[in-house]
Amino acid sequence: MAGSIVLSLALFFSIASMVTYVLAYRGKEKSLSYARLSYHVMSMMIIVASTILWYYILNHQYQYKYVYSYSSNELSFGFLFSTFWGGQEGSFMLWLLFTSIVGIVLQSYTSKLGDLEPRVMMVYTLATTFLLIMVSPLFKNPFEMLWAEPIFISLKDINPAMLNLPVLQSFAFADPASNENFVKVSAELNNALNAAGYSINQLVIDGKGLNPQLLNFWMQIHPPILFLGFSMATVPFAFAVAALIKNDYRNWIRQSFPWVLAGTGILGLGIMLGGYWAYEMLGWGGYWAWDPVENSSLVPWLVGAAAIHTMIVQKKTQNDQSVGKFAKTNLILCIMIYVLVLYSTFLTRSGVLGDASVHSFVDPGQLVYAFLVLFISTFTILGFGMLLYRWGSLTSLTSKEDGLLSRDFALFTGSAVLMASAIIVLVGTSAPLLGKAVDTVFYNEMHVPLAIIIGLLNGLSLYLKWKDTKKEDLIKKIFPSAAATLVLTILIAVIAGLTDIMLLLLVLSASFALVVNAQIAYQIIRGNKKMLGAYVAHIGIAIFILGVVGSAGLSQEAPLTLVKGKPVKHFGYEFTFTGVKQLPNENKYAFHIDITKDGKTYNAAPIMYISDFNNGLMREPDILSMISKDIYISPMGYEEPGATTGANLQLQKGTPQEIEGVKLTFNDFNFGPEARTAMQDGKDFEIGVNLTAEYAGKKEGVIVALKNKNKQTTFTSFDLKDADVKIQLLNLNPAGSVEVNVAKLDGQQTEPVKEEVLSVNASIKPFISFVWIGVLVTVIGFFIAMFRRLKEAYRQ
Amino acid sequence: MNKKYIFGGIIIVVFLILMVSMFTQSSIKYETNFQNVMSNNKTFKAAGFWVKEKSFVQDNAARTFSFVMKDEKGTEMKVVYTGSIPNNFESAQSLVVTGKYENGTFHAKDILTKCPSKYEQEKQKVSSL
Repeated sequence: MAGSIVLSLALFFSIASMVTYVLAYRGKEKSLSYARLSYHVMSMMIIVASTILWYYILNHQYQYKYVYSYSSNELSFGFLFSTFWGGQEGSFMLWLLFTSIVGIVLQSYTSKLGDLEPRVMMVYTLATTFLLIMVSPLFKNPFEMLWAEPIFISLKDINPAMLNLPVLQSFAFADPASNENFVKVSAELNNALNAAGYSINQLVIDGKGLNPQLLNFWMQIHPPILFLGFSMATVPFAFAVAALIKNDYRNWIRQSFPWVLAGTGILGLGIMLGGYWAYEMLGWGGYWAWDPVENSSLVPWLVGAAAIHTMIVQKKTQNDQSVGKFAKTNLILCIMIYVLVLYSTFLTRSGVLGDASVHSFVDPGQLVYAFLVLFISTFTILGFGMLLYRWGSLTSLTSKEDGLLSRDFALFTGSAVLMASAIIVLVGTSAPLLGKAVDTVFYNEMHVPLAIIIGLLNGLSLYLKWKDTKKEDLIKKIFPSAAATLVLTILIAVIAGLTDIMLLLLVLSASFALVVNAQIAYQIIRGNKKMLGAYVAHIGIAIFILGVVGSAGLSQEAPLTLVKGKPVKHFGYEFTFTGVKQLPNENKYAFHIDITKDGKTYNAAPIMYISDFNNGLMREPDILSMISKDIYISPMGYEEPGATTGANLQLQKGTPQEIEGVKLTFNDFNFGPEARTAMQDGKDFEIGVNLTAEYAGKKEGVIVALKNKNKQTTFTSFDLKDADVKIQLLNLNPAGSVEVNVAKLDGQQTEPVKEEVLSVNASIKPFISFVWIGVLVTVIGFFIAMFRRLKEAYRQ
Repeated sequence: MNKKYIFGGIIIVVFLILMVSMFTQSSIKYETNFQNVMSNNKTFKAAGFWVKEKSFVQDNAARTFSFVMKDEKGTEMKVVYTGSIPNNFESAQSLVVTGKYENGTFHAKDILTKCPSKYEQEKQKVSSL
């Protein structure tokens, strides 16, 4: 309750701040101080509400639906803390929290820049208002009570001491399929409990817990950084609309530039951490699967990067008559960054990607869908409406073009290539709206030529002057670097054994970018270090492209079947499975593998376990990181000694299943009263299993049994000679199912396996560290540039 | 209008044609009716449910994982996947498999498991716990 009230107050102050900022813009100077006060009160309220949510999670207040749905008693502090953004409601809350805090910095920044503050902040508070409506009780409220809608809660989460309460009896339910019992928690139960002097918090003593795939260190880092990037995307939008309101595009570029740099840098870092998470934890085998959710955060980043390039041109080409080149392009791109963040939210939260993505949220309902559409439409219409309104005056203020061999044009081309990439990703990601999906081939094939162009432009543009460049000069200057590039490319190609022509071109273009940028960066280091940003960022991109070529183009993968103690040779390494160890204090098992080469031995230990959360088998890969490559070991399966070859299958009573040409039906157990008594008395006993086998038009009864002798349990098998199979009983479940193994009867295969066998997928990923290093270097470049541009912004 | 615009225009048109053709080549249709999946020799993303009663078979020798899926109308289809049982498979509310139907089985190269957000099944009321 408290949380919802505080959020409602925040919504009130957000609207109040917006209205008073509009009044301040209209010339009512007094209202400016009210607007600032309202904004700060709103931010305080949002911080308080977030603190309340954290308090509820950390103190296991399961009467709140969010806390029940996404946390549990066994979670450690770090995971409880990140439960805050583990679910849909909370991640909106996190977005809101960051947006409001970024706004505090933005307010202070704009207040020092003349009349900018009211124009920027009235747009910005529109965004906080929408987000506050989103987390209000109407839509995705993290403070919803557990009983708001009736919910079935498993008995394991219910306080056993309260099970006998008479009020509870009419709320008891069972699921006939699984035989599990539930308590239906509803408003009526809450009232009945309160009347009896109890509360829901006493009744529900544990939560459902977090999905085991989220229980990872990166869960605590990746979402906050990504959402910080999303929040910062609001700023370029607010600046663009503010510029359009005043019809002033001269100061705008200088003032908003550091924000575009910082926001794009942070978003890039967030995306990379997500990729690293997928690589290290989720066992997808790669860092980027072109999943729609990943893609939808990449698109705003690409647009941000495109904007940076053309914004530099506008800044450089400003003069007394003109606001500089590409003013319209820049406004469009800055508006697009935020609109695309909203579109990304729409794709991932509205349920339209339901079948297309691993991590899209399940259908949130029509109302939320409609509100998300309204959210995007409002900002799209506001941004582009203002742009159309000013189109005429913008055209007259913008200056005209220069020659093809100028740095402006190269930068514009760079921006266009980034936009082309954004369009490709956007089209592919939006395919589910048409009931389709694109294969990852689409993205990969389209991006190889683009990446080649990016690398070449990246290097070439630095040799071009701001206006026109003479061809002869260019060729003379470019010669040494071109020679160095060629040497580097041949070196890489020989070492890595590259033969694919596209990959060679890619390496060539990335090497060119690397050589040219490194050369210029070296000159700058000895001069004005503040100017380094762009070169550092571009060196990062070149390293990144080389990393992608290595890890994607040259990776090798092979399934390995490892018998305990017996080395298997592959990729020039010797893999030996040494045994299984349970992790301390956890129900997880590590499968230790020794990897030997040239007398050096490394140990890898991928993990498999059955999760309590969903009763499913979960796997975690292990990675051996070396300087030049990673060895990636993804566990597939494990056979304990005694297991047989062939196939295992679970037979439900009365449901036939076919395997090896034999149709097997489990009829019933043969478990008479004598056997029951013997079992209860602890004597030897036997439980028979009656099966029917049908094959080649024949029907045959098959009896296998569980035998208990001297407290030792064994399972018998049955040879079905005519069908050439052996049926081995593996386990039985009194609820009505048995597990059997069916194997061919040809000689050696019928013998049970005596060794432990681990099957894994091993892959070698050369130069994957370049991917991470490249992105980090790029992000550092963004921040060096940001600090330089920040100083310029204050210079009037 | 000078040469530059014509040049730029041509590049944009070429890019768009390339993208559209790649898109049509690599796009895969979602299909919730298995009848269509089984009668066409094309790659589909078939969305449906795992038939729990028919369990699944993990064949360690052949490294295949097979099970039976059904669509909303109840049409059943055998699915074979090279690899082992995907994470979250047992608790998945629905599945999306990508692949082709050939010789009586659907050969999946990818399985996507969708997790249930709520308890979907209807529970029967019982008198006591």
